[in-house]
Amino acid sequence: MKEINKDVLVDASNRLLFKMEDSEYETLLSEFDVIQKQFEIMGHIEGVDEAKPMTFPYDIRIDYLRDDVPSTPLAKEDVLKNAGSVKDGQIKLPKVV
Amino acid sequence: MHFLDLTIREIHEALLAKKVTVSELVLEALKRAKNNNYNAFETILEEEAIKKAQELDKLEVPADNYLFGIPYVAKDNFSTKDIETTASSNILKGYKPLFNATVIEKLNEKGMVLIGKTTLDELAMGGTGTSGHKGITYNPYDNSHTRLVGGSSCGSAAAVSGAIVPFALGSDTGDSVRKPASFAGLVGFKPTWGRISRWGLFPFAPSLDHVAYFTRSVDDAGLILNCLSGRDEKDFTSSLKPVNNYDLNHTVNLKNIKIGEICGVIDSITDKNVLNDFNNLVEKLNKETKVEKVNFDTKLLESIYPAYVVISCAEATSNNANLDGIKFGPYYDGKTYQDVMMQARTNGFSELIKRRFVIGSYCLMRENQEELFLRAQRVRRLIVDAFNEKLDEYDVLIAPAAPSIASLINNSSDKLSSEYLIADNYLAYANFGGQPSITIPLGFENGMPFGVNLTSKIFNEEELLYIAKEFEKILGFKNLSINNMKGGK
Amino acid sequence: MNFEAVIGLEIHVELKTKTKMFSDAPINFNDEPNTDVQLLDMAFPGTMPRVNKEAVRFAIRMCNALHMEIDKEIWFDRKNYFYSDLPKGFQITQQFKPIGKEGYLEIEVDGKLKKIEIERLHMEEDTCKQLHFSDYSLLDYNRAGVPLIEIVSKPLMRSGEEARKYVDKIRELVTFANVSDGKMEEGSLRCDVNISLRPYGSDKFGTKVEIKNLNSIANIEKAIDYEIKRQSELLFLGKSIQQETRRYDEAKKETVLMRVKTDAADYKYFVEPNIFPILLTDEFVQDAIDTCPELYDAKLKRFISQYQLEEVDAKILINNEGFADFFEKTCEFSKNFVAISKFLISDVMGYLNKENLPISSFPVDCKYIAEMVDLLKSNEINSSQGKQVFAKLLVENKSPLLIKEELGFTLINDEDAILNIIRRVLNENPTLIDDFKAGKTRVQGFIMGQVMKETKGKVNPGVANKLILQELNK
Repeated sequence: MKEINKDVLVDASNRLLFKMEDSEYETLLSEFDVIQKQFEIMGHIEGVDEAKPMTFPYDIRIDYLRDDVPSTPLAKEDVLKNAGSVKDGQIKLPKVV
Repeated sequence: MHFLDLTIREIHEALLAKKVTVSELVLEALKRAKNNNYNAFETILEEEAIKKAQELDKLEVPADNYLFGIPYVAKDNFSTKDIETTASSNILKGYKPLFNATVIEKLNEKGMVLIGKTTLDELAMGGTGTSGHKGITYNPYDNSHTRLVGGSSCGSAAAVSGAIVPFALGSDTGDSVRKPASFAGLVGFKPTWGRISRWGLFPFAPSLDHVAYFTRSVDDAGLILNCLSGRDEKDFTSSLKPVNNYDLNHTVNLKNIKIGEICGVIDSITDKNVLNDFNNLVEKLNKETKVEKVNFDTKLLESIYPAYVVISCAEATSNNANLDGIKFGPYYDGKTYQDVMMQARTNGFSELIKRRFVIGSYCLMRENQEELFLRAQRVRRLIVDAFNEKLDEYDVLIAPAAPSIASLINNSSDKLSSEYLIADNYLAYANFGGQPSITIPLGFENGMPFGVNLTSKIFNEEELLYIAKEFEKILGFKNLSINNMKGGK
Repeated sequence: MNFEAVIGLEIHVELKTKTKMFSDAPINFNDEPNTDVQLLDMAFPGTMPRVNKEAVRFAIRMCNALHMEIDKEIWFDRKNYFYSDLPKGFQITQQFKPIGKEGYLEIEVDGKLKKIEIERLHMEEDTCKQLHFSDYSLLDYNRAGVPLIEIVSKPLMRSGEEARKYVDKIRELVTFANVSDGKMEEGSLRCDVNISLRPYGSDKFGTKVEIKNLNSIANIEKAIDYEIKRQSELLFLGKSIQQETRRYDEAKKETVLMRVKTDAADYKYFVEPNIFPILLTDEFVQDAIDTCPELYDAKLKRFISQYQLEEVDAKILINNEGFADFFEKTCEFSKNFVAISKFLISDVMGYLNKENLPISSFPVDCKYIAEMVDLLKSNEINSSQGKQVFAKLLVENKSPLLIKEELGFTLINDEDAILNIIRRVLNENPTLIDDFKAGKTRVQGFIMGQVMKETKGKVNPGVANKLILQELNK
């Protein structure tokens, strides 16, 4: 497991595209102290390594798929209605390089 | 007492008998909403609600439609067309969805009147009702505003217990309806995962997210489920299983019901009032049936919370990656697109949310996946298997829904803590397994309510509701609100 | 020391379904920006994915065409990363359980077939399209969510030529299976190259360089050949190869550095919690395969055996979009298969090329082309008459027999009349019979020439030939 220190957390938040204050990292580090002990409990449960990871609340396999039939798309004005930066019927961003 | 203070079924009878009009109900609800001092609302929909009420009053009240003309509120993480929906987060300020959530659509079609959108813990990630962008939502039972109502569906819990509406939509990812129901003296119900469409519910952690709701009686919870349940072609995870009739028009005999009390939860509770009232309940139940003690490995119960933190935070970082200020929400100009996104997310998310996202992201890191995310998913299976095994044996498993009455705001913190590891967090087992789960009022301590939770096996909500209705009779707490408080003993 | 190139390709193919991978927004490539968009494509909160049945069928077809093992249990995963063109902040893909694995295709290298193994084929969704201007970029969400399949080869190619042939084969397969337009120029087929060099005989891999943004099959070969040269030169000089991403600069005809790869991205994959695993029935998979249009190799084999076409002609018909179909429809009206193939390749293709038209715009019905070929083949008209009939046919699209009569094109079939002419020629050239008997075969042609000259080409050459031989052999 990756060791937890401030640098790792700063890197993680940068990759999540937000900035945090120093004091917020301190809080987070202290939270990790608590939660890591709890994480450890999970490793001590009998049979945990043999159990199959569970994504859905119950095991299910479906056999239906969506038919390839187009709907009426959204009006262009609606598509862009909530966007804060629009030009020529498209969302405008600083030049992506 | 106003007609608005009755249960849905009773209000319906009054509407049928023309003792009250929809407009009168809606105007009263709006008045109470505007006067509320619990900070329950993101938006009050005065104009829209009055207009709809007037239209409904032109129609004959349909005898078979209990929901006709009943005012309600929805947690502000349900998509509502042309109505600002923020999930109590600044990152969604000004966002006016283009579509209604399926549940909103269904309720509107039945003639229910949406009078407002309620506050929540930001993005539904929290259990205190303090972290939304509008600040703390207070417990209506506490005039001094010193106690929480709980979260994340705080505004909805406050609106129903605060006697504004008889029903409120919420969502429940860990216990976000069932726990505040305990603190607010309400019925809080989460049907089986897949029983109700999630289309239009802002995702927190889809594999755990449930549409859930508050009512003031078990009977009303059944009436609402009749409207909300069923397959939705927009949500391919909604179940194809046929729905039942949840109109609870007969009774079950508890004699034929096997009840298990979850020992590990009860053992971890220290509050004497909670234990006392719970034991009294068990005693009363034992007169009709036998309540058996059900044991789980303590480590398994202690693992519910860490597994929940890992899975919910991990899924949440991903689900909320769409919040970048580009397509909706406040836009911040910048030199690069990263800059644009970085500013939107830095300014838009509160500190708590950022911490949860970092934790979630950490659990998903390549180096940590096996030991954290996948392990949590393995633990999830063990927990679900263990509970389902007992639920095959018992019709319901019961335990206090929370270890105590609502906490004092000053004592509460949204930081992760190890206090009450089991009793404060165990309800999430029914999110892991998707089982139907209901909290109903159990007792009062210094005028503050607390509840008991009943959980059954998946897609067994009909039986669960019937059993909960019997509990309700035994306990004698029905239709509680601050206008109709039987507690305070 | 000589170096060997180790080349692996990742190919993205846009599927030509009517709707997107997970939403029911229509797909129309030339539509105005942001007019083919549904709620999910904008990642509005509370929207949920629904898997497109046709996209799964198309993926199965390609798995089958590439001889892959098909996984009937379909799972989707999330690939999490932030980018301006990624609306949800994650891409739904198949990381852990691709629908197809362990396949291959064959290419011809130096006259021999070489098998290129394919590691995996998986389904995913496209990002939105970015248009770049001098100081800003615009986002068009029409492309967001378009179904893609990604085909990942094993690193088994050794040269630009092999890579080009591999991509060309993939392009051929997706277009023949009718699952994609397969146009690199338009981005419906995209190719990323991974290339490293190592000394011959070594089984270790060198440092991998990625080449992106290749916009034609020819450029793949050029880029790889350049890159092999560049890396060899560096290695000869004892320099090391940097792990980096490069692109091909068409003007400079060389690869140029885009970015140096630092730590590998961590996409934090996990199973998509909004899509249940899908268990495909055997019937579903079989039906997807059975309804796949005939692929190139099978069609070529069949054209040669069923119609007795020359391989080169069969290839021309199959390689030119629409011609194979037109050919087969024409063959329903005439048994002169080979003559039809030749007529299509010379006359019809010639006309279309001149007019710059696709065969779908060809103005003449198949049955008239069949009739036209029959007329020529039976010598009821000669080739110069044929040209005139065809010219009119192109305008009027009606029976060539009728046109022939309208033009008054009848050949002289009267044997007495033809004999008269032949005898006159023989009389005027008394040495001819002796010459013929002495073995000079050109005599026959000379007489035919004279007969044609006499009749202005209107004699039936079949009849004339028979009579010439008859007279010479008397």
